[in-house]
Amino acid sequence: MTEPKRILIVDDEVGFTEMVKLNLEDTGRFLVRIENDSTRAFETALGYRPELILLDIIMPEMEGPDVLCQLRENEQTAQIPIIFLTATVRKSEVNQEDGFISGYPFLAKPCTVEELIQAIDQNI
Amino acid sequence: MDTELKRTLQVLIVENNDVDRAVLINMLSKAPYGSFQISATDSLQETFELLKQSLVDVVLLDLNIKDSNGIDTLKRLHGRYPQLAVVVNTGEYQDDLGLRAVTMGAQDYLIKGMYKSYGLVKALYYAIERKKAETELHKAMDELKEMQAQLIRAEKMNVVGGVASGIAHEVKNPLATILYGVEYLNTVLKDGDDKIELTLRSIKDAAYKANSIIKDLLDFASLSDIKRDLCPIERTIEQGLVLTHHQCEKFQIKIVKHFATNLPNVLIDKNRIEQVVVDLILNAIAVMKNGGTLTIRTTRKIFDRSDISVASNLTDSIAVGEDVLIVDFEDTGKGIPDEYLEKIFDPFFTTHRAAGGVGLGLSIARTIMDSHGGMIDLANKEDKQGARARLVFKVNGK
Ligand SMILES: Nc1ncnc2c1ncn2[C@@H]1O[C@H](COP(=O)(O)OP(=O)(O)O)[C@@H](O)[C@H]1O
Ligand SMILES: [Mg+2]
Repeated sequence: MTEPKRILIVDDEVGFTEMVKLNLEDTGRFLVRIENDSTRAFETALGYRPELILLDIIMPEMEGPDVLCQLRENEQTAQIPIIFLTATVRKSEVNQEDGFISGYPFLAKPCTVEELIQAIDQNI
Repeated sequence: MDTELKRTLQVLIVENNDVDRAVLINMLSKAPYGSFQISATDSLQETFELLKQSLVDVVLLDLNIKDSNGIDTLKRLHGRYPQLAVVVNTGEYQDDLGLRAVTMGAQDYLIKGMYKSYGLVKALYYAIERKKAETELHKAMDELKEMQAQLIRAEKMNVVGGVASGIAHEVKNPLATILYGVEYLNTVLKDGDDKIELTLRSIKDAAYKANSIIKDLLDFASLSDIKRDLCPIERTIEQGLVLTHHQCEKFQIKIVKHFATNLPNVLIDKNRIEQVVVDLILNAIAVMKNGGTLTIRTTRKIFDRSDISVASNLTDSIAVGEDVLIVDFEDTGKGIPDEYLEKIFDPFFTTHRAAGGVGLGLSIARTIMDSHGGMIDLANKEDKQGARARLVFKVNGK
């Protein structure tokens, strides 16, 4: 058995993060850490060293893109792959190429668990 | 009035008393100013004939003539020719007759024997001027009403748009939570009994339904960002058909395509127009749940008034005489009741609420067509056997 992959989810929607954790860990392939406070996302990432981060865009206090900047500015977190998860995006809002927000892959909520796992596998 | 004075006025005298008629002609020939071309008749029947054949500036109308009597004469003339300037010329003096004549479409009234040449000529000129002013006023009123209708529509859209994006975020998050919860329970209760399975499926369906309503709202709110390219319209229609194929099969709807050959490409946002096409097909399916035929027709032609029904013709984005491409969707459903024709484009108007209709399809479609400088029209077919949805695109759209 391969080691489960460490995933960090940063999203203020508590119930949603719990459900993502349940579903992903249920497969036996992932270990999920939840961060509901985006202002602490960077620190948590630094400590947890996830192999991929699921990042909500619209959050109170600090929005997804700002978290992304913090992560990119530190060389220990700069290389961690990111997938944006968002509830507001429509296809037409996303920069031309389907499935990317300013170069990063994204998933529109609600998406199926299957789609989520597929996206993680493609980007890890 | 200056230019009117230089022109020869076409005056039609409707009078069945020979003497009175002679007097009128004589008065006009001796008029202090103006020049007149006079025709005369003694019946309403012939009046209509004459009006059909030649231009008349003003009618001098006796109310009691061969085939009509009293105020009714005016009513009938005005009913048929509302744009015509009319001066009533009556022999019987009644107190309120003048007032009644004026409220019923005449511009002035004269009582026989009570006026001279000068008064007559003045009445004729004034009647023409009044009629002109009245017509312009009507036109301005119509424009105002139309503008008001557009404003109300725009206002509704704005409110919906602003609220929509806010709601979307707030609602989609809990929906995502519900759906992931259901998925988890599904894996855990893999061998659960039928009731559990049914429950989970119902929860999931309900969540997806709510999600699609939110999606409609968002589409509605984001109609400004369109991206247009020159595209063959058939391809977008075919794409819409692919997306609705399953539904068409389910309700046994036959698709008949009459695509004109050698059509030019049109400047459209493919995704948006595809959305319009899908909406129109779904609307057609909704009224043909027991089967039917959907005929899709494309035509290139020179646009004229009759291409669009009155009810839908609120925005005048296409001028008569323009080179246009028309796409028709003709169904064999129950058609649209007359009293709904003015409402079907309103946001949230639906007659399919029980079947899950939200009532945004046509208002979104209209906004999309507006933003393309095109038009959308819905009417009952001439044979009354169903409805026809029509899209009009400018061939050289800007
Ligand atoms: N092809 C059609 N035949 C008859 N009625 C129609 C047709 N298309 C639209 N309508 C009427 O217009 C209404 C509004 O349509 P729409 O805006 O697409 O909303 P919805 O489809 O959700 O009802 C429909 O509920 C129906 O009453
Ligand atoms: Mg519809």
